[in-house]
Amino acid sequence: MAVTEAPPLEPEVAPDVRGPTAPLPLATFALGIASLVVIAIGVLWSQINYAFSDRVMTQYCLDQQISPEDNGGIGVCNIIEALQDPVTTDALYLGISLGAAALILGASTYRRMDSKRKRDHAITGAVLGSQGILLGVGILWFRSVSPGLFAKHFLNFADLQGYGGAFLRGIRNTLVLAFAGELGGIVIGLVLGVLTLSERRVVRAPARLYINFFRGTPLIWQLVTGYFLLLFGFGLRMSAFTVAIIVFALNTGAYAAEVFRAGIQSIERGQFEAARSLGMSYVQSMRYAIVPQAVRRVIPPLMNEFVILIKDTALVVALGLVESQYDIFTTAREGQAATFNATFFTVAAIAYLVVTLPLIRLVNAVEKRLRSGLVGIAGAGS
Amino acid sequence: MKNVKLWLAALVAVFALIVAACASNEGDTTGTTGGTAASGPTGTTSGAPAIPEFSTITDGVLTVGSCLDYPPFESVKNGVETGFDVDMTNEIASRLGLTVEWVRADFDTIFTAVAGNQFDMVAAASTITAEREDVVDFSDPYYNSLQSLTVNTALTPDITSTDQLGQGDVVGAQKGTTGKDWAVENLEPQGVQVKTFTSSTDSFRDLEAGNIVGVINDKPASVGIIADLPDLAIVQDIDTDEHYGFAFSPSNPELRDAVNVVLAEMIADGTYQEIFNKYFPPDSIPDEFKPTT
Repeated sequence: MAVTEAPPLEPEVAPDVRGPTAPLPLATFALGIASLVVIAIGVLWSQINYAFSDRVMTQYCLDQQISPEDNGGIGVCNIIEALQDPVTTDALYLGISLGAAALILGASTYRRMDSKRKRDHAITGAVLGSQGILLGVGILWFRSVSPGLFAKHFLNFADLQGYGGAFLRGIRNTLVLAFAGELGGIVIGLVLGVLTLSERRVVRAPARLYINFFRGTPLIWQLVTGYFLLLFGFGLRMSAFTVAIIVFALNTGAYAAEVFRAGIQSIERGQFEAARSLGMSYVQSMRYAIVPQAVRRVIPPLMNEFVILIKDTALVVALGLVESQYDIFTTAREGQAATFNATFFTVAAIAYLVVTLPLIRLVNAVEKRLRSGLVGIAGAGS
Repeated sequence: MKNVKLWLAALVAVFALIVAACASNEGDTTGTTGGTAASGPTGTTSGAPAIPEFSTITDGVLTVGSCLDYPPFESVKNGVETGFDVDMTNEIASRLGLTVEWVRADFDTIFTAVAGNQFDMVAAASTITAEREDVVDFSDPYYNSLQSLTVNTALTPDITSTDQLGQGDVVGAQKGTTGKDWAVENLEPQGVQVKTFTSSTDSFRDLEAGNIVGVINDKPASVGIIADLPDLAIVQDIDTDEHYGFAFSPSNPELRDAVNVVLAEMIADGTYQEIFNKYFPPDSIPDEFKPTT
């Protein structure tokens, strides 16, 4: 007998019933957007103008502690001169005024709006306007203090030429550390998580001890002590890189254990009882019925853990590493020590963001897909 | 609705106040170095140059940054800072009418830190180099030093020189030091890998465990660190003609000049020799640091 498959269920989207809008709230919304856009365009315009111009060291730059002998000094001078440019100044003040207008307009009228869409526009305009004000005031304040010193140390990209390969290698090492640590951690975590659910205290207690220890001590302590413990206590001569992977796995295992435990416990007891009543042993029920369902629920938190681990790998800077093993942060630190230029740290932040932001988006997408909850159950006809 | 609006308005007002307060604070601190003067005593002995007026981050206090784990120059024993650099700094500060406050800092970021006025001075057995001169101002040299190779004689009794190191060997060095630069320049071409550590004591511990085959570090500090480690021994002197100086922010040349004046006084009247003899063999004091009386 053929059974027709149920049609795939679409995610529910509420129909838009917010009602019409009106000129006033629309204007507020537009003012808010305009304030941010004006500031952004003004600042960028000046920066690009100056970056491609033939300008040279000015007295202002010299006063700001930038000297002609500084590597990349001209570039830094351009950056801070552009901040003082009249175009930027006009854009900032205009942006602040627009923002203030949007804020005042929106905040005073939103309650009297009769449709939701109008209210949304008014409030959004007010919030954008306040953000424009903050941004404008912030830049005005920053450029009036000592932008030269900040730019010389953090925005001086001249010294970074030649480090492209080093940073790519750093990214590779960071990912290797994070992946290997996460994989090991998942294996350890699954085992420990199941152990913590045992009815017998003799089984639960050591697992709990392990988890509490690795969650209760700082990761940097675990790295440094772990290295010397393995070295002097067990006579194992391994590179610090390998030790770091082991410690990351052990540490992640403790957190993953908690995630697995929560995931397994969230599966309703009826599933377990049904499996048992079919004649499966405890282990078989876990293996064939419970854990496969729990896996879907633990994926988002585990992926979150992975993103956190990527940033934690920066702690290997506390260990002795050979150049081919440097991660992003150690590369930045070594570059800074060689050139005394803290722009390496700016680039390190960018490198970490390049790695973590796409992953975070992936996590959110996966979470959304899994949350619809009916994936895998719909269409299961036979 | 009314409560929320009031609440939000109050929040924005408080935030604006905080921003305004911070802005005015920023304006003040940028003027401290060079603005408020904590003048030191002017020259005491006739004929000696007068100590220029200078200022420090905190009036009456010399804030000194150091790694504080580099015996015999600076280390902490029973909670008290001791060492050659420590004694020199204390003497200099007292002659300038200042008390000393020590700030522990990692060596590989210490020059950027002093250039950014995190402390007034760096006293950390720092070699004067051209690259560092671009970032900080150094005092006159106050110690002559050299590099050295330390090995683990229990594990590798045959190594007596860096010439014997090659492919597959790993030596340790501290991040940001001239020892590390020397190792990278001279040993990497031989196929040796350089393992860098944030603190020099970590490198010696690794050597003790046999993870690395040698450590390139300043000789006098190596002597101090391996004093309690019988397996380790210095097998080769590497003469790099290095001189230590105290480092200052380039925005505070007056303090550096004042310290130079006091340093010259200390050398001339024999105080330097006294401090030197406490930590190093008395007959090894270089001629330029002997008293002139």
